[in-house]
Amino acid sequence: MQKRTISYMVVAVFLLIGLAPVLSMLINSIVAEGRFSLGAYSSVLTSARQWNLMAHSAVLSLLVSTFATCLGVPLGLLLGKTDLPFKKTLTALFVIPLLIPPYIIAVAWVDFLGIQHLKGLWACVLVLSSAFLPIPMLLTMIFLRTINPRLEEAARLVSGWAGVLKTITLPLILPGILLGGIVVFLLTFGEFGVPNFLRYDVFAVESFTQFSAFYNFKAATASSVPLALVTLLVLLVEARFLRERTYQIRPTPDSIQSSTSIRLGKEKHFWLGMASLLAMALVIVPLLVLLLRSEGLNSYTQALERAGHSMVRSVTYAFWGATLLTIMGFFLGYIIHTKALAFWRSVDSFTIFLFALPATVIGIGLISLWNTPWTNFVYGTAAIIILGYLAKYTALTSRIMVTQFAQVPASMEEAAHISGAGWARTMFFIVAPLAKRGLLAGWIVAYIFSIRDTGISMLVYPPGHETLPVRIFTLMANGSEQLIAALCVLMIAATLVPAAILWSVPRLLAKRKVP
Amino acid sequence: MKSIELDSVSKAYGNETVLLDFSLDIEPGERVVLLGPSGCGKTTILRLVAGFIKPDSGSVSLDGQVVSRDKRILVPPQHRKLGMVFQDLALWPHLSVRGNLEFGLRAKGISKNEREAKTQKTLELVGMGGYGHRKPDELSGGQQQRVALARALVLEPKVLLMDEPLSSLDLELNRRLRKELVRLQEKLEITLLYVTHDREEASHIATRTISMEKGRISSN
Repeated sequence: MQKRTISYMVVAVFLLIGLAPVLSMLINSIVAEGRFSLGAYSSVLTSARQWNLMAHSAVLSLLVSTFATCLGVPLGLLLGKTDLPFKKTLTALFVIPLLIPPYIIAVAWVDFLGIQHLKGLWACVLVLSSAFLPIPMLLTMIFLRTINPRLEEAARLVSGWAGVLKTITLPLILPGILLGGIVVFLLTFGEFGVPNFLRYDVFAVESFTQFSAFYNFKAATASSVPLALVTLLVLLVEARFLRERTYQIRPTPDSIQSSTSIRLGKEKHFWLGMASLLAMALVIVPLLVLLLRSEGLNSYTQALERAGHSMVRSVTYAFWGATLLTIMGFFLGYIIHTKALAFWRSVDSFTIFLFALPATVIGIGLISLWNTPWTNFVYGTAAIIILGYLAKYTALTSRIMVTQFAQVPASMEEAAHISGAGWARTMFFIVAPLAKRGLLAGWIVAYIFSIRDTGISMLVYPPGHETLPVRIFTLMANGSEQLIAALCVLMIAATLVPAAILWSVPRLLAKRKVP
Repeated sequence: MKSIELDSVSKAYGNETVLLDFSLDIEPGERVVLLGPSGCGKTTILRLVAGFIKPDSGSVSLDGQVVSRDKRILVPPQHRKLGMVFQDLALWPHLSVRGNLEFGLRAKGISKNEREAKTQKTLELVGMGGYGHRKPDELSGGQQQRVALARALVLEPKVLLMDEPLSSLDLELNRRLRKELVRLQEKLEITLLYVTHDREEASHIATRTISMEKGRISSN
C-alpha cells in the first residue's frame, strides 16, 4: 500500500513538472482571446521560410547523426573491444565534448579558424559531430558489454575477428547503434546555440528568436509544436523497431569477459596513433585554443568580475538540480524496474520524450504554465530553472537507476520484508545503500547536464538568476575574445572539477581499505 | 598421435589457481568425460583446448601440433578445427538455424551450393531437416540443443568439445539426447571431450571418465 501510494505521488509530481508545461503550451497555442484558433499554426505552416528552416534542421540533424555514428561506432569498438593501451584515458578525453555546452566547442573552433572560415552548414556539422560523437561511441561500448561472450566465442571457432564483428557482434549491437544515431539526430534537431553562433538558420533558432527577440509568445509556441511532433514521431519509430530488439543481455564475470577482447598485436601502435590523432583534433586542440586565447590571469580576473556571480549560481543550481534529479530518478527508476504501476512503460517513455524534446519547447512550456500572478514564487525565482532541469533530464537518472536496480537481486528486498521492514524502511536502509553506485553516477551525470544546460535556462531565467552558460552566450555578442575564452575555460572547470572529485573520492577511499 | 594433449598446464584467475600442473592425453575417437563439482577447472580445460584462454604455463597440443604454450596462443581458435557446444548453447539469435550453420562454412569460403548441401545434410543428421528457416527463439529447448550440435558438426571437426550441454534439460530429454550423441560420435568417429557434473550422464556417454577436484585429477 505504502509502495503504491508513494509511487503514485512521485509520478503525479513528475507529471506536474513535465507534462503540465507541454499541455499548457499546446492549449495556449490553440486559444486566442479565449476562443479556439489555429491562427498561429496557419502562419507557421503557410510560410515558405518556416518549411525552409525545417528542411535545414532535418539536413543538419541527418548529417550530424551520420558523421557521429560513422566515427563513433568504430571508435567504440576500438575502445570497448580491443586491448588498445590507454583506453580509459582516451575514453575520458573523447567524452569531454559531451560534458560542455556545444557552443563552447564552436567558440574554440572559431577562435582557431576564424569565423570567416567557419560558418554555415558544414561548420555546424563539424562542431556538433565532435560534440555528440561520444553518444554513439559510449552506446557502442555499453552494448558490447551486454553481449554474451559465448556468442562471439562460438563464431571465433570458425572465423577471424573481422568475420565475427561483421556477422555476429555488429548485428547484435545494431539496436544500440541505431539508438545512438537517433539520440544524436534529436539533440541536433533541438540545438540552437551552435547554429545561432555559426550563422545557419534552423527551426529551433526560430522558436527561440520569436520569444526572446520579438516576444511573440503565440508564434514561439506554434513553432515549438512542430519540433515536439518531430521528436514524438522519431521516438515512436524507435519504440516500434528497437525496443524489443535487445536480444540476450547478460553481464559476465571479468575473467570470461577478458577472453572476448580483440588483441591488436603489432597493429596496436598504429591504432593508438590514430585514436590519439583524433583525440588531438577533436578535443585537445579546441581546449588548448581556448586556454591560449584566454591569455593569462588578467582575462580570468575580468571573467570572474563580470560573471563570477553567474558561476556561483550555476554551481548552486546544478547542485540542487542534480540532487532532486537523483531523488526523482531513484523513485521513477524503481517504478520502471519493478513495474510497480500498471503504466510504468508510459512513465519510462514520457521521461525519454521529455529528454528528446528540444529545450526551447520545454522552456516555452514552463513559461506558459508558470507565468501567472499566482505562481510568481516559481516563475520569479531559481525554482523555474530547476523545474526545467527536472523536466528535461529525469530520463538520465531514471535510466541509470534502472540499470543499477537490475544488478540488485530482488531477494535483498524480499529478505528485508520478511525481517519485518516496511517498504519505506526497506527502500531507505536496503535498496538505496545497495544502489549507491548508481545514485552517485546519476548525481554526477545530472550535475553535468544541469550545469551545461543552455536552452532551458536561456528562456526561463528570471532577472538576477542568469547562469554561466547564459552569461557567456550573452557576452559573446560584445565581449572580447580573451574574455569569452576565459569564461569558457571557467565553465569547463565548473563542470569537470566537481564531477571528477566526486567520481574519484569513493574510489580513493575504497583503495585505502585494501590491506 | 594423440588427439588432445595437455602437458603440465597451470592456470590461475587472479589469486585463484584453477588448474595446477594438469596433464591429460586423449586418443582419437575417444569419448572422455570430465566429471567434477563447479569450480574444479573442467570448463577451463575446454576453454584452453578451444584457445579462448592461454595457459599460464605448460602446453596444449592438438593432433601433435602445439597450439598454446606458456602464456601464448600459437594457433587461434578458428584454425584449430574444433566444434564446440556451449552450456547456454550460444545460438546467434539474429540468424536463422540455417544462418547459424552457414556462418562457419561461409568463413571457410565454401561455395553457396556446397554450403546449402552441407547445412541440410547436417540438420538432417540431428533430425532438424525441416527447421532451417526458423530463428533459435522459435525452437524448443531440445531442438535448440540439436541445432547447437549441428552447428558444431557442420565443419566436420576432428574434436568436439561439449560444456554441460544437457544440464538445462529435463531427465527424459537428457537421456534421449545423450543416446543420440553417442550414436553420432560413433558414426562420425570424432574425439569427444565432454564436461559434466552429473555422474549418471558421464557413465552413459564416456569411454573414459576423469574425475576432477580443485584443479587436479582425482581419479582416471
